[in-house]
Amino acid sequence: MEIYKYIVKRILQTIPLLIIVSLISFFIIRLSPVDPLAELRLNPSVSQETLQKESQRLGLDKPIIIQYGKWAKSFIKGDLGITSNGEKVSTKLKERIPNTILLTIIVIFLTWITGIPLGILAALKWKTSFDRILTVLTSIGMAIPSFFFAVLLLIFAVKTGWFPIGGLTSANFADMTFVGQVKDIAHHLVLPVTVLFTLSLAGLQRQMRANMLDVLDSDYVKFARAKGLSEFKVIYKHALRNAVNPLITLLGFEFAGLLSGAALTEYVFQYPGLGRLILEAVLKSDINLVMASLMMGAIMLVMGNLIADILLIITDPRIRVKS
Amino acid sequence: MRRVLYVILVIILVIGLLKACIKRDIPESDTISTKNPSTEIKITYPEDQKNVTINGIDYLQSQASIGQFGGTLTSSTIGEGPKTFNPFNTKDNISSMLSEVMYDGLLTTNPVTGQPIPKLAKSFSISDDGKEYTINLRHGIKWSDGKPITADDVVFTWRDIILAGLGNTSIRDSIIIDGKLPTVEKIDDYTVKFITPEPFAPFIRMLSTPIAPKHIFEPAVKKGSEYFDTFLSTNTKPENFVTSGAFKLKEYVPAQRVVYERNPNYYIINKNNEKLPYLDKLVYLIVGDLNNEVLKFEAKELDVINLQGSKVARYKAMEPHSDFVIYNLGPNTGTMYLAMNLNNRKNDKGNFYVDPKKQVWFNDLNFRKAVDYAVDRKNIVLNIANGIGEPLFTAESLNSIFLNKNLKPYDKDLEKSRELLKKSGFKWDKQGRLYDKFGNRVEFDMLTNAGNTEREAIGVMIKQDLEDLGMKVNFKPIEFNSLVNKLVNTLDWDVVIMGFTGSPLEPNGGKNVMMSDGTLHVYNMRPEKDKNSPRYDFEKRIDELFIKGALATKFEDRKKYYDEYQKIVYEEKPFIYIYSPTVIVAIRDKFKNVFPTSLGGVTYNIEEIYVGE
Repeated sequence: MEIYKYIVKRILQTIPLLIIVSLISFFIIRLSPVDPLAELRLNPSVSQETLQKESQRLGLDKPIIIQYGKWAKSFIKGDLGITSNGEKVSTKLKERIPNTILLTIIVIFLTWITGIPLGILAALKWKTSFDRILTVLTSIGMAIPSFFFAVLLLIFAVKTGWFPIGGLTSANFADMTFVGQVKDIAHHLVLPVTVLFTLSLAGLQRQMRANMLDVLDSDYVKFARAKGLSEFKVIYKHALRNAVNPLITLLGFEFAGLLSGAALTEYVFQYPGLGRLILEAVLKSDINLVMASLMMGAIMLVMGNLIADILLIITDPRIRVKS
Repeated sequence: MRRVLYVILVIILVIGLLKACIKRDIPESDTISTKNPSTEIKITYPEDQKNVTINGIDYLQSQASIGQFGGTLTSSTIGEGPKTFNPFNTKDNISSMLSEVMYDGLLTTNPVTGQPIPKLAKSFSISDDGKEYTINLRHGIKWSDGKPITADDVVFTWRDIILAGLGNTSIRDSIIIDGKLPTVEKIDDYTVKFITPEPFAPFIRMLSTPIAPKHIFEPAVKKGSEYFDTFLSTNTKPENFVTSGAFKLKEYVPAQRVVYERNPNYYIINKNNEKLPYLDKLVYLIVGDLNNEVLKFEAKELDVINLQGSKVARYKAMEPHSDFVIYNLGPNTGTMYLAMNLNNRKNDKGNFYVDPKKQVWFNDLNFRKAVDYAVDRKNIVLNIANGIGEPLFTAESLNSIFLNKNLKPYDKDLEKSRELLKKSGFKWDKQGRLYDKFGNRVEFDMLTNAGNTEREAIGVMIKQDLEDLGMKVNFKPIEFNSLVNKLVNTLDWDVVIMGFTGSPLEPNGGKNVMMSDGTLHVYNMRPEKDKNSPRYDFEKRIDELFIKGALATKFEDRKKYYDEYQKIVYEEKPFIYIYSPTVIVAIRDKFKNVFPTSLGGVTYNIEEIYVGE
C-alpha cells in the first residue's frame, strides 16, 4: 500500500515539472531568432500572399503567450499538432520511434550483458594485466568522440565494401524474403551499434568495476571472508548485490535515453531515427515537433527515475525501512 | 622508456590495420600522369521525339537507340526527403522534383534549345495576338489505372486547382496580369483553349505544370483547401497514386528512400513501338548531407552524383579506372552576388536603415564600380571552386537562353578602382587607409550566412581584395535566419554576399528581385509603408523593361528588353555578381542513352535510359 501512495505522489510531483519544462522550451524556441519561413522568404518565386498564408497557418502572427496557450491546450487533449509542413506530428514520430527503439534496445542489451561481467571481472582481477588492458580499451572507448568514430567506421565501410553506408534497409528491401529482411537490417545495424556500444560499454564497465571495488573493500565482505564463506558466495551473494544498487539508478537514465540517445550517431549513419528528425526540426524551429520530442524526453526521464526508484525499493531493504 | 615504446607499438599497429583495409582508388602502376583524362566526351543527341499514331493512339516516339528493359537507377536527394507527393502542394524543390516524376505536363522544355515542346499535349498553337493558347491532346493515352487522359483532366487541373488557388499558389500568383487571371475552356474531348487577359509570354512555361487525374483529385478538391493541403501526403499508400509520368510510386520509406516503378501505360514508345520506360525501378535515396552522398556513390549504392568543385579533380583521375563517366553540364543557374544596401529611407522609429555616411558611399556609382573592379573573380573561382566555375558579370545565369552575350567580362583592376574613388573625392592617408571626402574612414560590415562554407570563403577573399583599396571590411557570417530577417524585415545591413537560383528559361521569374517593389528587391527593399517612395532612374527603367518583357510575345522582342535590363545591372552595379559554379555529374557507364544537357541535367530523358552491358 505504502508503495502505491509513493508512486501516486511521485506522478503528481511531475506535473508542475512538466509545465515548467514546456514553458521554458517553448519560449526559448520562439524567442530564438530562427524564422521557420526564412527559406520561403528567400525564394524569388514565392509571393507575399503565400508568406502571409503560411504565417497564419503556423500561428506566427499571434503573440507568443497565445501560441503557448494553444499548444498546451491541444497537448493536454493528446493532440500533438502538425509540423511546419502540415504533417501530423504523431505520425512523424510513429515512423521513427520503432527504429530508434530497435537501435537503443540492442545497444543497451549488449552493453549490460557484457559491461557488467567485465566490470566484475576487472574488479576481481584488480591490478592484473587483464584489468589494465580493459582499462586502456575502455579509456579509448570513452575518449573517442562518437561522431568521429562513426565517420571512421563509414570510411572503413566504403573502402572495404563490407558494410552498407548508413540507412536501415537496402533499396530492394521490399522484395526480400523475411529472413533476408532480418539479415539486411542486421547488416545495416552493425556499424551504428558498434559506435554506441563502444561508447556506453566503457562507462558502464568502469562504473561496475568501481562499485565492486568499493564493496569488496567494505567491512561486511571482510567479515564474510573471515567467517570462512566460499569466495563464490562472498562475491555473488554479498558483494554483487550491494554493488549493483547504483546501477539501477543508471538503468533509469538508460530508459530515458531510449528515445533520445543517439542523435549524432544517427545523423552520421543517416539512420532514420528520432534523433535525426528532431535535429532537423530544431534547425528549422519546427515548434510542434520539437516540443513533442522535448516533452517526450522529459516524461521518459521522469518515468525512468520513477521506475529506478521503485526497483530500488524492491531490491534494497534499507530504503524501504527509511521511507 | 618502456611506456614510450608501448605507445609507438600501438600507433604502428593502428596505422598498419588502417593501411591494410584501404584499397587504392587508382592502381599503383597507373598514376595520373600516364593517362590523360582531359578527353571531353562528345555527346551526339538523338533526334527529337516524334508523334506516332498506332491504332488510333497518339504515342510519342523516342528516337534514341533501342535498349534493354529492366534494371534500376539509383539517384539521391539531399535533406529530409519529400514533404508531400502532391505536385500542387509542394513548397520545396525536393518535393516538387519527386512528385513531378509521376506527373507529366502538357508541354516540356527542349533540353537542348530551351524552347517549349509538346509532351502530354500532341501539339499546341498560339494565336497571333498572343492571348490564345490552343492545346491538342493525344487520343487514347491513359493514366496508370487505365482511365483515358482527356480535356476534362486539363480543364479540371487548371480551373479547379491552380486558378482556384488550392495548395501552393505561386503559379497562380505569377500569372495574375493586371489583377486578372487567364481562363481555360474545353473545346472538345481532346482540345483545350487557354486565354490570357493580355499577351503574357511567361504563360507558355506554366503549361509544363503537371496535369492531375480528375477522377482522383475531384473528391479531394470538393472537400476544400484544408483537406487538399493534406491530400496525397507522404503517408498516402503508394497504390492510391494514379499517374501520367514514366514512373509511379512504389514505396516511400521516411528518411531513407523513395522507390518508383514503371508506369505500364506510359505514352512514350521506342523505335520498335514498345512502351517505355526501360527501367523497372527508379530509386531516390534520401541522404542527409553531401559527404554521405559521396560515400554512398563510392560504395556503389548510388548511380548518379553531382560533384562539388573540390572533388572533381580526384574523380577525374579515377575515371579511366572506374565504372563511371563524368559530364560537364556547364554553369548552373545560381547567381552568387555581393550587394550594397542602397536604401536611403527611415524606419518606423525615424532612424535611417543605413548610416547616412555609408549611404553616400553606396549610392555613389563610382564607389560601387571601384568595389566591382577590386573583386578578383578569377582567383575566387580558382581557389573556392577549384577552377570548376565561371566568373559572372550578368544578372541572368550563364546558361540562360536570355543571356546578354555582349556584356564582356573583365579582370581585377585596382588602378581603375583607385581612379574611380579619386573621382568621387575619396582619399588615402599615409598608411593607405581610405577616407571619404568628409574625412570619414571607409568601414562597413559585410554579411553572409554562416555555415555556407563557400560564401564564407568568398567573403574572406573579397575582404582582402577590398582591403587592398584601403577599406575596412568587417566580415561577419551570421546565422541564416537572422540574415534573412535583416535582408527582408529590419533592413539594417551594409553589404551582403548571397545567392539566388534563377531560371535559365524565364527571366520573369526574377521579377521579385529586380522590380523595385518586389518582395526580394534586396538592394533597396521597400516595405509596405515605402511602396511609393522615389525610385532611382535605373530602377524605373528596369521596372518598365520587366513589364514590357512579360507582355511581349516574340522571343526576339523579349530578348531585347531583357538584354537591356542586364546591361543596366551590369553598368549600375546594384548587384556585383561573382561567379557561377559549374555542374559536374558522374554517372555509372552501364547506363546508356544518357545525353546530359545544361538545361535538362542528366535524367530528363529517364524513360530512354537503359542498363546496357
